[in-house]
Amino acid sequence: MNDGEIAIEGGSNGPIEESVPEGIVLNEHAQVCLQQLLRVWLGFERDLSKVPLLRRIDLGTYTAEDHQVFLRNIRQQVIEGSRWITRTASSFDRNHGEIRSTIISHAVDEHRDYEMLEKDYVASGGVLEDILAMEKNIGSEALHGFLMHQSSQPNPIDLLGAMWIIEGLGEKMATSWSDRIQELTGLGEDSTSFMAYHGHNDSEHMERFYATLDSVCVNETAIKRIVKTAKVVARLYRLQLEEMEHDLN
Amino acid sequence: MSVYITSTGRFLPGPAISVDQVENVLGAVHGKPSSLRVQIQKANKIQTRHYAIDERQQTTHSNTEMAAKAAEECLDRAFVGREKVGMLAVASTQGDLPAPGMASMVQAELDLPEIEILTTHGICSSSIMALKAAWNSMRLEEHEAALVLSSELASRLLKKQRYEAATTSTFAAKRIDFSTEFLRWMLSDGAGALLLQNKPAPKGLSLRIDWIRGFSHAHALPTCMSVGSAGRPEDTRTWQDYDTYAEAEQDGALLLRQDVRLLDNLMRMGVDGYLRLVEEGVSQPNDVDHFLCHYSSHHFRNKILEMLNKAGVGIPEEKWWTNLYTRGNTGCASLFIMLDEFLRTDEITVNEGDRVLCFVPESGRFNTTYLHFTVVSQ
Repeated sequence: MNDGEIAIEGGSNGPIEESVPEGIVLNEHAQVCLQQLLRVWLGFERDLSKVPLLRRIDLGTYTAEDHQVFLRNIRQQVIEGSRWITRTASSFDRNHGEIRSTIISHAVDEHRDYEMLEKDYVASGGVLEDILAMEKNIGSEALHGFLMHQSSQPNPIDLLGAMWIIEGLGEKMATSWSDRIQELTGLGEDSTSFMAYHGHNDSEHMERFYATLDSVCVNETAIKRIVKTAKVVARLYRLQLEEMEHDLN
Repeated sequence: MSVYITSTGRFLPGPAISVDQVENVLGAVHGKPSSLRVQIQKANKIQTRHYAIDERQQTTHSNTEMAAKAAEECLDRAFVGREKVGMLAVASTQGDLPAPGMASMVQAELDLPEIEILTTHGICSSSIMALKAAWNSMRLEEHEAALVLSSELASRLLKKQRYEAATTSTFAAKRIDFSTEFLRWMLSDGAGALLLQNKPAPKGLSLRIDWIRGFSHAHALPTCMSVGSAGRPEDTRTWQDYDTYAEAEQDGALLLRQDVRLLDNLMRMGVDGYLRLVEEGVSQPNDVDHFLCHYSSHHFRNKILEMLNKAGVGIPEEKWWTNLYTRGNTGCASLFIMLDEFLRTDEITVNEGDRVLCFVPESGRFNTTYLHFTVVSQ
């Protein structure tokens, strides 16, 4: 192992390292929105270091047991994720046909991801029944409640802000966490396959994201709505991660 | 009241040391060449640097002397007598003495009578803290002129004897310990000086200070660059908690450490801070004529460039200027050494009215600082 290569050669993680694909020129409002979303992301990402479970990844004290806690707690959000995404698709009217198609295909990609996560859990030394019996933690309840509410509104373009945070985190899990967790815990690839796969897939999702942002973010009101939803999701997502710690007791 | 940088100076100790000579000066630990040196030097692209130690690792100039020499050069070039200097602000990561503050020692060396002094302590951004405090004192019209110095003598921390003495450290335990060796091939010595006045110099170019801002993220992020702990997460002792200093040294608590895994945070927070300044309307990337960015390695230059571009606030590469590659990474002294040469170099043209944006990030515990100057002449 040569841990320095990580810094010298550089990794990529999170949406800020993910460029706007060639061929997509964002309109002026979308560009401003993207800058504001970047700041929301950077603040969210920085504050992940304050979440006790994740701080242990930074400090090098994350254990296999921590990983089980993480998987056990994140599963509900993954299951519920496809629900609010499909709800979002159905809330767009006929004038938003293109977006609806994009969202539906996105939901198809992800709606059974939780099965991968269950396999990871067993490979990490967990008992299948335990993860299947796990309820949503307090933060997951709040996050899911908010997302279901927003996705039930007509033409909920603000949920692009939610996707920005959630997809960004998928990318970060794949590029910064999955190998590091294996290294720290001695667990194999089969324990982090959800993290690794999810990230790979998310980079294609980001391309669709930019195209959609350009088409719907066309005025000040849209910027405000998208950015606000990104902020709420970032805060509630962190709550979900913070609440994982309580599962330890 | 407007405040101007009217004179600058620098001191780089000894001859320029090339890439291949670096290990001769710092010394090969236990007589064995480092297996990481070439890789790290390739990434940082620093071609020459200076050290205030010789090939026997004996100190040739103290940190105080280097700061004073930069100050003398700055004062010699100034159009104002040294008796006008009412304040001396000095920044360093580590002065020669842990106490008193370095400004006291430098004041004595310069023989400046009865002035106000300030010592700032930190890493790369400590010079910006000193500059901001001096600027604010000037804005309060307490002084006509203030001298701001930054000086680093990192090589004393990086010489082979430090590593050889760390017999029970993570460095001794691992075959390769990136966290303790990374900075060995990055940092070097030097000092820079700026003279602040309440009016531009009567001849030549001055820099009007427009704003200085800083954002620190220590509340959220772990320590990234430090001296004083053994670098084991479960061990909370710092160097003075050991029974003897000898034990602290053996345990590696006096080695300079960088947790390279955390470094990406610095670039992210750097971009975040700039986006914040753009959002506040304080800075516009299109209005920048020269961008002086302190980065420790060429590798990070590309990353910053890329990230700013992707955030839509990119500053074209032809506006970037640095002397990192020839003068080395001198920590908190870097920006002052850069500003000194920026105003003199033939590599670029600096005109009256040009707007200069500077960025000095500190990895210690993630402090990002930004400065803006306008080039003026009387």
